[in-house]
Amino acid sequence: MLSALILIPFIGAGLLAVLPNRFSSSQVKWVAIAIASLAFVVNIIVGYQFDPNQISFQFEEVIPWIDGIGFNYHLGIDGLSLSLLFLNSFLTVLALMSSDRDLPRPRLYYALMLLINVGVSGAFIAQDLLLFFLFYELEIIPLYLLIAIWGGKRRAYAATKFLIYTAVSGILILAAFLGIAFLSGANTFDYETLRSAGLPFEIQLVLLIALLIGFGIKIPVFPFHTWLPDAHVEASTPVSMLLAGVLLKLGTYGLLRFGLGLFLEAWSYLAPWLAVAAAISALYGASCAIAQQDMKKVVAYSSIGHMAFILLSLAATTRLSIIATICQTIAHGLISALLFFLVGVVYKKTGSRDVNQLRGLLNPERGLPVTGSLTILAAMASAGIPGMVGFVAEFLVFRGSFPIFPIPTLFCMVGTGLTAVYFLLMINRVFFGRLSDMVTYLPPVGWGDRVPAIALSIIIFILGIQPNWMVRWSEAQVGRLIAPETVAQVTVLNPKGD
Amino acid sequence: MDVVTLASQLNAGTIIPEGIVTLTLLVVLVGDLIAGRKSASWLPYVAIVGLLGAIAALFVQWNGTSDTIAFLGAFNGDALSIVFRGIVVLSTIITVLVSISYVRQSGTSLSEFLSILLAATIGGMFLCGASELVTVFIALETLSIASYLMTGYTKGDVRSNEAALKYLLIGAASSAVFLYGASLLYGLAGGETQLDRIGIALSQIETPAIAPVVALVFVICGIAFKLSAAPFHQWTPDVYEGSPTPVVAFLSVGSKAAGFAFAVRMLVTAFGSLTEQWHFIFAALAVLSMILGNAVALAQTSMKRLLAYSSIAQAGFVLIGLIAGTESGYASVIFYLFAYLFMNLGGFACVILFSLRTGTDRISDYAGLYQKDPLLTLTLSICLLSLGGIPPFVGFFGKIYLFWAGWQAELYGLVLLGLITSVISIYYYIRVVKMMVVKEPHEMSETVKNYPEVSWNLPGMRPLQVGIVLALVATSLVGILANPPIDLAKASVQRSPILQASISPAKEVAVSRFAPVQSSEFRVQN
Amino acid sequence: MDLAHGVQLVSFGILAAIAIVAALGVVLLQNIVYSAFLLGGVFASMAGMYLLLNGDFVAAAQLIIYVGAVNVLILFGIMLVNKQQDFPAIKGMWIRKGATALVGAGLLVLLAGTIVTTPWAISTATPTGDGSTLKIGEHFFSDFLLPFELASVLLLIAMVGAIVLARREFVPEDTPTTEEELAFKLPERPRETAAIAGGSQTSPE
Repeated sequence: MLSALILIPFIGAGLLAVLPNRFSSSQVKWVAIAIASLAFVVNIIVGYQFDPNQISFQFEEVIPWIDGIGFNYHLGIDGLSLSLLFLNSFLTVLALMSSDRDLPRPRLYYALMLLINVGVSGAFIAQDLLLFFLFYELEIIPLYLLIAIWGGKRRAYAATKFLIYTAVSGILILAAFLGIAFLSGANTFDYETLRSAGLPFEIQLVLLIALLIGFGIKIPVFPFHTWLPDAHVEASTPVSMLLAGVLLKLGTYGLLRFGLGLFLEAWSYLAPWLAVAAAISALYGASCAIAQQDMKKVVAYSSIGHMAFILLSLAATTRLSIIATICQTIAHGLISALLFFLVGVVYKKTGSRDVNQLRGLLNPERGLPVTGSLTILAAMASAGIPGMVGFVAEFLVFRGSFPIFPIPTLFCMVGTGLTAVYFLLMINRVFFGRLSDMVTYLPPVGWGDRVPAIALSIIIFILGIQPNWMVRWSEAQVGRLIAPETVAQVTVLNPKGD
Repeated sequence: MDVVTLASQLNAGTIIPEGIVTLTLLVVLVGDLIAGRKSASWLPYVAIVGLLGAIAALFVQWNGTSDTIAFLGAFNGDALSIVFRGIVVLSTIITVLVSISYVRQSGTSLSEFLSILLAATIGGMFLCGASELVTVFIALETLSIASYLMTGYTKGDVRSNEAALKYLLIGAASSAVFLYGASLLYGLAGGETQLDRIGIALSQIETPAIAPVVALVFVICGIAFKLSAAPFHQWTPDVYEGSPTPVVAFLSVGSKAAGFAFAVRMLVTAFGSLTEQWHFIFAALAVLSMILGNAVALAQTSMKRLLAYSSIAQAGFVLIGLIAGTESGYASVIFYLFAYLFMNLGGFACVILFSLRTGTDRISDYAGLYQKDPLLTLTLSICLLSLGGIPPFVGFFGKIYLFWAGWQAELYGLVLLGLITSVISIYYYIRVVKMMVVKEPHEMSETVKNYPEVSWNLPGMRPLQVGIVLALVATSLVGILANPPIDLAKASVQRSPILQASISPAKEVAVSRFAPVQSSEFRVQN
Repeated sequence: MDLAHGVQLVSFGILAAIAIVAALGVVLLQNIVYSAFLLGGVFASMAGMYLLLNGDFVAAAQLIIYVGAVNVLILFGIMLVNKQQDFPAIKGMWIRKGATALVGAGLLVLLAGTIVTTPWAISTATPTGDGSTLKIGEHFFSDFLLPFELASVLLLIAMVGAIVLARREFVPEDTPTTEEELAFKLPERPRETAAIAGGSQTSPE
């Protein structure tokens, strides 16, 4: 069942690559969407059959791959993986839908998009460290090509930067994984086996630092973040959506699953520093976002700031804060994807993303009223206005982390406040005011450009009103992550945090 | 000693694969003499059939008897040698496939090329199993002289001449140094030439003497030249750039594999008592090769020079497995060479095809190739990415296994350096991929704009296509089906007595020190 | 020390002196013809050494092959080419020469030290004397059979290679006819070859 989640897009990508030339770009697009939707349907079936009360991994599949080094094709999900899987399949479908209809070289493009889906899904369900690493690396080259071929002006630079940063992050992770596998003497890469291998504290610390830097590049945490704004600015809209929506989540997922899961002792030792790093990242992201002229850069830096909240709540390591992590991961995935999508629509219709040039786009006749309204909504969600998913997530993050790290949490709260500032600045300049007379009529926004945004907005609302749905798969299993020996005592928490 | 007892002692069945290749060589030479120019159409297939026959014979031997020592100790056809001989023969088969059209286009005669290539193969195969100094030297020279000849095969090309001369001079010098080292060994062992007896003699020298170390250094000079490990790599870029590309393909894989087999056998048997010393020297070679090969490759503009430096770097990676000196260390060397066979030969096959169609091998001339030749672009991209260690291609698994084995043997520094340098290598491999795939139609190079219509019907092109597709399929799928080849590599290590004797018990203890329970359980499961 | 030992020692001294002086001459003399002749001297004194060691067959082989064939071939090569070329003096050549001498001297000291300090395992077998030819033959057909046979492959391929390198190439009879084949006949690397002929391009390292 889980293999299908990998195989469907993988085979689909191969299929797309060999599709005859006579298919037009939009036909290829529909085929790709069909494949991605099929994967999404499978995902829904998995979610339906998933038993939220069972604590161990479910749907496990184990096939020995290389006996000699203890490497198995071992898949399995728990609630954490499942929610991220959903996010991934859903955003992939939306990203495919929001791709240009007359894209050049469509077959390669859609094949690469599906390959990214393969890599991310695989990483979320891999229960073997090497298998996770394989999928983690698998997504690099497609993303590199997607940025380098369909990107903006400085795409070559941005793509290479992305490649180098991610490759470095990859080797750090691999080194840490090799270290775990050997120093524990287990001679296997199986996650569950390694979890029970108690390593000496010093070794844990060294390995954890390697993992932290490795995943920190991916998240990205200040000062390893410089690849992200470049990559976002140069990438096309759907790629940005995927990048912010799910690819960055690989970093936080990795930290939660492997950093926290395998090195609990060292993790709690380093947690105060992580909280400080998160606070710096949050403030840095927010203050950089204020200074940006390019709408996409604003969103990109805001992404850095919001990813830092995930790190903060990871550092806190209480049951509540881990739930907050999941919520914030999903919330950020949805909101940033929506924001990137809307910025993409603005760019497509006006040809500019410069906040100094754009004015009055909210003009109901000649402007982009629907897009504008949705942007305001997304900005509100991002800033944590109640009623939307962003509020729930951020509230949980701060509620969960405050008792543990009061001061970093306060700084992060300042970061949230700044979110409102920079998004309002941006919206004020871009959407309000008088629409320049130079612009007569902007091209109309078709339904193709509305459906993904509306779908995302609806979900943002629904989850804001009913946040239980976000965590209903995972709450039973959260305890297991932070305290492996107290599995039996897990009680279902109230996700609202009171 | 009469003839009958002698014949029974020789155990000549061990060299049946080599015999088949020799026979093929003779058929190729005589066939060309009888049939003349027309024979060029069928001679390559004769060669391939002969080589496949050799593979079949190797396969039979794999399941065959346990008595592997032949010719009164001159040759040891153990499992290790069988695997390495298989790699050499496979690389020759692919080289033959990709060389047919190249040799035709270069206006030189095919049959002589094939016979020299087959002679190099024979030399390489004997080198894989030679366990006696004289045999080692003759096999080494057969391989070397045939390589020099092939390097200078296109006489009309100034660069080929230059390459051949350089290769000859440096090669002869390194052979001479090796020979001096061998003579020291002969003296130290009291007139013994068989490697195992030399090993016994060396281990009995009690007082710390300098002579064994000098002999070791000199022998390693000869070996490192064949492996093109830095700092014995200087010939590599010039020779790779100048010589005919199919020859380079063979040198980079077949010759190198034979060199590794020779290195394992020589160092493990003869220098068993100096293990620490040769581990140290090889660690230095590995560090230099990985750093230098990967760093200099960044600046290359010619595809063949790029592959030359990349092959230096790859030799450095493989050395990690050799230094590990454990069962999985040796097995990872074998598996990586097996992987390297396909990905590197695939890369060279693409370079050959491109240069046949356009007459150039500058990296910038590959710009925008995807529009004109998707198969070539796909294969070259996959082979290069696999060399860079990107999943899910075979190179990823090869590297993981190597690094795993190195880490298991507690070579943390080397493995970390290997990881870092492989990131560098991704950068220069992706540069070529970017050139081919990313460039827009208007950025297409002049060469690609004039790219001829893709047609596989021209003479000699069909085998080239077969070679390319074979490499493509193997590079993409062997990784996913990595278990059988790795089992094979491990079995070959387990079934080779010389390696079993050398795998030091101390190391095994060191590995299992942390958790003896788990690791013993693990062994039981296997 | 009896007379035989004395004669042996004196002959060794003379042969060694000839070998060293001649070898130095090979390396140091400017005229290549002199060097070639002196190389013959080195080979001949080596043959003398083999004689001293009771290796009469090896000595004869050394004379016939190295002096008679290899050295003569070298002389033929030099005389056939007969190209006088004045090389421009390289600045600071003495540094290179000095460094080379230093390295050479260091290597000499190392190897000499090795030879002196090593407890060589000296073979106890009695010298065969006149029977050495027989002994070599026996070895060739017993424990050295494989290298002996392999050497025949080596010689065969060396011969083939020599012919390939030496023979004159004929232009292929079939001339390209179609447009496609013409495009296909491009020689590899025309650009680089042309650049080398022009001597303008420097290959990047």
